[in-house]
Amino acid sequence: MNPIAINLTLPAQVISFLLLVFILSKVAWKPLMKIMEDRRQFIADSLAQAEREREQAEQLKREYQEEMRKARQEAQEVIAKATKLSEERANEILAKAREEAEKLKQSALVDIERERDRAIADVQAQVSAMSVAVAEKIIRQKLDLRGQEQLIEQFIQEVGDMPC
Amino acid sequence: MHEETVLWHVFGMSLNAKTLVMTWIVMGIILIIALLGVRKLSSKTPGKMQNFLEWVFDFVSKLISDNMSYEKGRPLLAYLVTLIMFVFFSNMLGLVPNLTFNLFEHFHVEFAELNKIFEGPSLMSPTADINTTLALALLTITLVIAMGVKHHGGRYFHHFLEPNPAFLLIHVIDMASKPMTLGFRLFGNIFAGEVLLKVILMLPGIWVLPGIIPDVIWLGFSIFVGAIQSFVFTVLTTAYVAQAVAAGDH
Repeated sequence: MNPIAINLTLPAQVISFLLLVFILSKVAWKPLMKIMEDRRQFIADSLAQAEREREQAEQLKREYQEEMRKARQEAQEVIAKATKLSEERANEILAKAREEAEKLKQSALVDIERERDRAIADVQAQVSAMSVAVAEKIIRQKLDLRGQEQLIEQFIQEVGDMPC
Repeated sequence: MHEETVLWHVFGMSLNAKTLVMTWIVMGIILIIALLGVRKLSSKTPGKMQNFLEWVFDFVSKLISDNMSYEKGRPLLAYLVTLIMFVFFSNMLGLVPNLTFNLFEHFHVEFAELNKIFEGPSLMSPTADINTTLALALLTITLVIAMGVKHHGGRYFHHFLEPNPAFLLIHVIDMASKPMTLGFRLFGNIFAGEVLLKVILMLPGIWVLPGIIPDVIWLGFSIFVGAIQSFVFTVLTTAYVAQAVAAGDH
């Protein structure tokens, strides 16, 4: 037998093999490749999603940090403002207190002045009264008869001189 | 050992019956494997058979992307996967013992000469027939030309005249030698393996236990050769197509 004998088997084998390729492509390879492609796509999607989520997380973290920083700054500002305000208030209160004290002092001084004037006036009045009284007494003592004549004379003189 | 080739006659032409029957067996095996693999397709929890098929696909995809841009080679994937599986299982079939135990002969089943087809100690590789290997090689060269025309149009044939029209003869010989070397390499390896297997089985002393050792060694080596040859056939097909696709790109 000659092992190298080419006959109708050759086209038969061509047809057989093409048939096999056709059937397998239709029945098996197509769905299998689709599944493999699906998986590739799924993995690629998952990776992309993971990357996206990582970026989002990073973004969130940045935002939080920024917010934290801002909040801290604001707190600092609030504290500073409050301190300033309280100082101002304290100063204001002190100034007011001082002013009031000053006012009180002034009115007290005025009162004192007035009282002193009054006291002086009183004293003057009493002194004059007492002077009159003393004078009266002295005059009463000194006015004796010897002197009366002259006095009366003088008095009448004076009255007579008065223009009526 | 003097088997005569079993022939079927169709329209006055002859067909190698044994080759055809073995081819159909191989086709059946591959179909069963493929169907088992895609029976419960899943992209998340692939079964064992699906894993095997995906491994084959990844293997062949890597061959393609090593040789040419994957986008251009992608339409070939189904063909090349079928090719490597077909050649591999064909090479293996010749090593499988004849498990029909000559029952066809015993019951005188003479329909389509099945009794003669299933005789002998082992089955036969379809690739141990020059018709099969040449058929595959011709398909390869057709694919090469088709891909060349697809990617370069009529300009593809222009490369036969480069760098000088005088090189036309060399290009034609180059083109013709491709399918011939492809076909004869595979045929020679597998046919020689089968012949030697039959010769070893005719050794005296094969029926005592240590006598099977040469047979075992040769079977193991044949598995190796069969796997290598299926790989080589696919790689060369890919390389030839890559050449045709890349021709004129430079």
